[in-house]
Amino acid sequence: MDLKQRIAEVVETSNAEFMAQCYNLEGAPALGSMVKTKSKDYDIYAIVYSSSTHGIDPNRRIIARGQNAGSEADIYKANPQLSKLLSTDFRALIVGYNKDKAILQYLPPSPASIYAFVYPCDMNEVRDFTQSLNFLSLLTDARLSVSPDEVITAFLRYAGQSHPSPNDFLVKAGKEIAWLLSNDIRRLDSILKRLQK
Amino acid sequence: MTLEIAQVYSQIEAMAADVKRRQADYRQKIDLALQTVSAISSNQEQLERKIRNARTTWLVAGLKEKAGIHHPVKSCPDNYIVVASDGSHIDVDRHQSAHLFLLNIGLVQLQYGSSPDAWFSSIPSLYFKEDEMSIRSQDGRQAPLEGPLLGIKRGVEECRFLADRVDEIKTNLPVIALIDGSLIMWGLVGQRYDDFVIDTLLINGFLKQLDRFAALNHRNPTAVASYISFPRSTDVVNVLRVQLCPYNPIDCDRYCKGRFEGRECDNVGGLLDRALFNELLFHGERSAVFYSSSTIVEKYGFHRVCFFYVKLDEEVARVEIPLWVADNEGLLDLVHFTVVDQCNKGFGYPVALSEAHEQAVVTGADREQFWSLVDRVLNEDNLSLQRSLKQTSKRVKWI
Repeated sequence: MDLKQRIAEVVETSNAEFMAQCYNLEGAPALGSMVKTKSKDYDIYAIVYSSSTHGIDPNRRIIARGQNAGSEADIYKANPQLSKLLSTDFRALIVGYNKDKAILQYLPPSPASIYAFVYPCDMNEVRDFTQSLNFLSLLTDARLSVSPDEVITAFLRYAGQSHPSPNDFLVKAGKEIAWLLSNDIRRLDSILKRLQK
Repeated sequence: MTLEIAQVYSQIEAMAADVKRRQADYRQKIDLALQTVSAISSNQEQLERKIRNARTTWLVAGLKEKAGIHHPVKSCPDNYIVVASDGSHIDVDRHQSAHLFLLNIGLVQLQYGSSPDAWFSSIPSLYFKEDEMSIRSQDGRQAPLEGPLLGIKRGVEECRFLADRVDEIKTNLPVIALIDGSLIMWGLVGQRYDDFVIDTLLINGFLKQLDRFAALNHRNPTAVASYISFPRSTDVVNVLRVQLCPYNPIDCDRYCKGRFEGRECDNVGGLLDRALFNELLFHGERSAVFYSSSTIVEKYGFHRVCFFYVKLDEEVARVEIPLWVADNEGLLDLVHFTVVDQCNKGFGYPVALSEAHEQAVVTGADREQFWSLVDRVLNEDNLSLQRSLKQTSKRVKWI
């Protein structure tokens, strides 16, 4: 994996998810996009479910600075220290891993390594990963700090772009979700409506 | 029991009443001070002679420009770099298990202009070897580095790391190096330190670092300045006291020995320089440049400390510069601009110094953790730990 492609580093890790600190301010991948990182012997795939930008020191409050600035960019130009005082990080839910060239859509035996580099997945990898949709139960069952349904729809729209026919992919995914949420019609309806837009 | 706040309350009320009484005199003193500044401008040479011949019991600033002059901020280069340092330390603690001290120096570099950039660093250094724990003379005398002397040593190290960084930048952009506090090593004044201490800390320490900043001007414009927030100095008000004094030559001990009120000079006495310049200056303006007349400054050579006051949003600050900066109009304007701009960006305090402080600060929790780590490492190496019972008593609360 190329040094230039790495976007972040794992700073908090568990079996089900990890948090990564971005190298660039506001450089988090989009909600619902797929990233990969390393454990000891395999690549771990995960879906970004939240990101935030905040002060590195929790005791220092961020204050408004731009009342007299021409643009937001001018704030950074006049205050270059901000790039060192602020940080963007994101959380990603693990949906599978790659071992011996096989894609396994369940949780890996051990978490991502701390300080492991994080890379965005290219569209070929997303297409290969989403040939099977068994991992969707990890998303529908997840308890996240944001609505999992928002993450599911964002991911499916994003992953659809990697397939020759995004619409066919969404129909296939919709069927899988319908099966997973057959006992929760209200939730299913909400997800399917979002996918249609 | 700890502090009996109820008992302190009545004392605070008495203090407030005293402040109120003094404020009533304040306006009168300020008005006279402003009149005196105006009077000086018509005949400053005569005053300079009077200052030169005066024997006062207080410090009187030397006049490098017309005393009442004020300068607005001039424009600055489009691209420039501000570097600042600050320090913190863990002093020798005789109640602890190991004889050592720690210096933590924070450094910040901010580049402004077309390629804005920032660089932060924090450099901890542990001192524990016998020859590091004191300053030694060639004939075997020693001055232990602890307490106030360690504070002075830290100031030297802050300047050394700052010079190292400025040296490393390798740029042709103007660089302004900022130090927190005074360029004058007040700690060495009046403490009767031996010459070898002054030689080590000042002559071969602090001043050697100032030499490095001056030398860098062959490569790119480089200024060094120190910033004093909320200064309590009275050097310039004391110039007015000289002007008001009816004796010439002035000799406080001869004419006014034992008198502390009712003298002509007391009509402005008690005013701080910052109060005077708060009236004299408009926002962003700097005062005239003055010379410090502290006795220690005689040893500074061409780094002789000069200073000016600058009016900011919320306060009047004092900026100290070496003579070679004061004599160079370009560097002087650059320092003036930088201080005003840094304070605007830092909500009243230079942002580079503020961030350097954040890099350097050693909190109470850090200290606890540091000493625990020292104990643990010594323990792991099976080295016996001897700590004072006083220290143990503070840690273990009992009834």
